Parts: sequence; structure tokens; C-alpha cells
Amino acid sequence: MTDATQTNKLDRRGFLGTLTWAIGALIAAGFTVPALAYIIGPALEQEQSDEWIPLGLSNKIELGVPTLFKATIERQTGWIVNQEEISVYVLTQDGREFTAMSNICTHLGCRVRWIEDRAQFFCPCHNGVFDQYGEIVSGPVPRALDRFEIKVEEDQIFMRGA
Amino acid sequence: MTSRIGNWLEERMGWRSVWETVFLRKVPKVNWFYTLGSATLFVALNQMITGILLTIYYVPTPTQAYDSVQYITTQVPAGWLIRGLHHWGASAMVLLTVLHMLRVIFYGAYKYPREVTWFTGVGLLVLVLGFGFTGYLLPWDQKAFWATTVGTRIAEVTPFVGDWILRIMRGGEELTAVTLARFFGVHVWFLPAALIALLGVHLYLVIRIGISNMPKRKEE
Repeated sequence: MTDATQTNKLDRRGFLGTLTWAIGALIAAGFTVPALAYIIGPALEQEQSDEWIPLGLSNKIELGVPTLFKATIERQTGWIVNQEEISVYVLTQDGREFTAMSNICTHLGCRVRWIEDRAQFFCPCHNGVFDQYGEIVSGPVPRALDRFEIKVEEDQIFMRGA
Repeated sequence: MTSRIGNWLEERMGWRSVWETVFLRKVPKVNWFYTLGSATLFVALNQMITGILLTIYYVPTPTQAYDSVQYITTQVPAGWLIRGLHHWGASAMVLLTVLHMLRVIFYGAYKYPREVTWFTGVGLLVLVLGFGFTGYLLPWDQKAFWATTVGTRIAEVTPFVGDWILRIMRGGEELTAVTLARFFGVHVWFLPAALIALLGVHLYLVIRIGISNMPKRKEE
């Protein structure tokens, strides 16, 4: 809007005009940056808990047969603390090495069941099938069953990573 | 580049004349007290932005209101800042609105032809106090609860209709979940809608009539 001859000269009016815009931009940034952090903050939070959750006694497990354990955990979502029941299949072949698997089907989140006769996990929703280690056998499942960290102390099984 | 976009939009929207009317209008030679209205407007914008942000996490129920406010203050990134701005901005709103009003009184700026600007301004002051009153309950802590208990009791003193006013404010005899929910609804829907409407008229009149000159000691 200024004349071509005047563009390089910074007069008082031009300086104050630019300063006003600069301060305005600073204030806008002062609102925008905290607002974005505020909005996306909880989305970035990792929900992994590092606590060891006691599941039960290891001598309950038959060798080579995934056994279902249930545990109640406290989970905080936002400002609400919920009691949540989680189910975990624990497998051992020798009584020393243990594997803990989620019973949630990796396809769409239904619960899988251990079918004794066929020695396979079966998901009733879309016929997903996993073997005893939770590896894919057939069906629309995209990946093996999720594993959890597990440890055994004096016959007591603990898991974490839910 | 910016001027090309500006020209393109100007051709289609005619925004430049609006811009010039709003921001490049002539003002008389005045002092810093004449910025109090703009300061109030700025804080009002602050209240709108931070208030909208607070609704993302705040839940107006007795079991969750307090916890959700604590969550905002201690867990959410910059939550303390957003809440702090809204909290302190609320006090600043009342303060600035009153100071702005005092300036208008002392400089006689409410006189012809600016009476309607003054009327809407009085309405805006009432709305600001309404915001303060309803907003004070929302954190649902002891102070909020008892302040509203007392505040609604004060309204009860009104002759003849006091009992009704108390019941309408509380949504019943007691201060309950119903009270919290309706204070929230009034705070974030009723009052903002009324504020924007009145503020629109107020600012339209300021721009249309222009601001008053400083009063002279003697007639010239």
C-alpha cells in the first residue's frame, strides 16, 4: 500500500505498525503453543505400567497347556480410577520358562478361548486361530497374540506390561 | 504475495473498507484511560479461548468436577497455565469492566448520542458478574460450594420472590448436582451467547459513533 519510493524507508508510522503486528503475533503464539500442548498432551501419554501384577501360583499350570489367570488391576484414565479385570494365558513347557499371552484377539479385540481338544486358541468372532504359543494358525488375524513380561518368585507368578 | 492474496480477496469480499472502518478510524487525541475498553475486550477474548479449552477436560458432575479440575491443573501439559489464565482473567474482567465504566462516567462519555452504548455496557457488566458468580461454583471445592450456598441465600433475601429465586438458581431446595449442571450450562452457553450479542451492539456503536472527545474545562 506504500509507494514504491517509500518502501525502504522505515518511518515512525511504519515502525509502530510493524511492532503492533509483531506483538500481536507473539500473543497469538503465546496462546497457540500452550493450547496445542494442552489438547494433544494426554494423547501422547504412554499407558504402560511398570508394576508387577501378581497372577497366582505357578503349580496350577499343566505343562504345555495355556492356563487362564485373572487379575484385578487399577487403571487410571484421565481423572477416573477404574478397577479392571485382565485375563492372561500362561504357558510353560518345563515349569521353568513361562510365557504370558493376552487373551485379546489381535484382529478386532474379541476374547480368544483355549480349545483343549484341538490344542489351539480360537476366536469366536471371525474364526481366528492361534497355536499354543499364540502364533497365527489361520483366520483374518494380523499378528500373534500380545505377550507380557513374566517372572516367577517362590511359585508366585507376576506379570507386567498390561 | 500477501498483497496479491489481499487483492484477490478484496475483489470478492470488499474487506478493505471494513478493515479501514474498524481499525483505521479517526480517534480524537485522548489519554491512556481510553484503552480500558480494549483491555477489557482483550481479557474477554482470553476468557473465551481458555474457557473453551477448559471444557475439553472439565466434567460438571459432583463426582468428577473436582477431580477433573485437579487433572487439568496437575496432569495436562500447560493445564495449570490455561486454568490460571481463566481464573485470574475472571478477576481482571470485573476489574477492567468497572474501571472502563468509571472512565466513561468521569469523562461524561455516556451522554448523547452514546446512551445506547452505555445501556449495552451496563448489560455487559451484569453479564460479567454473572460469569463470575456461575464460574465460581464449577471447581466444586469447599470454597466454591459454600460461596454459592451463601450467594444463593443472599438472593433469597429479595422481598416476596426471594424463595423462588433461590429455588430457580439451585434447581431445587438444596445445592446439588442439578445446581452444578445448570451453573455450568449458564456459564458456557447462556451467558456467552448473551455476551456476544450485547458486545456486538456495543462495538458496532463505538465504531459507528466514534469515541468521545476529552471534555473541556470551559465552553469555547
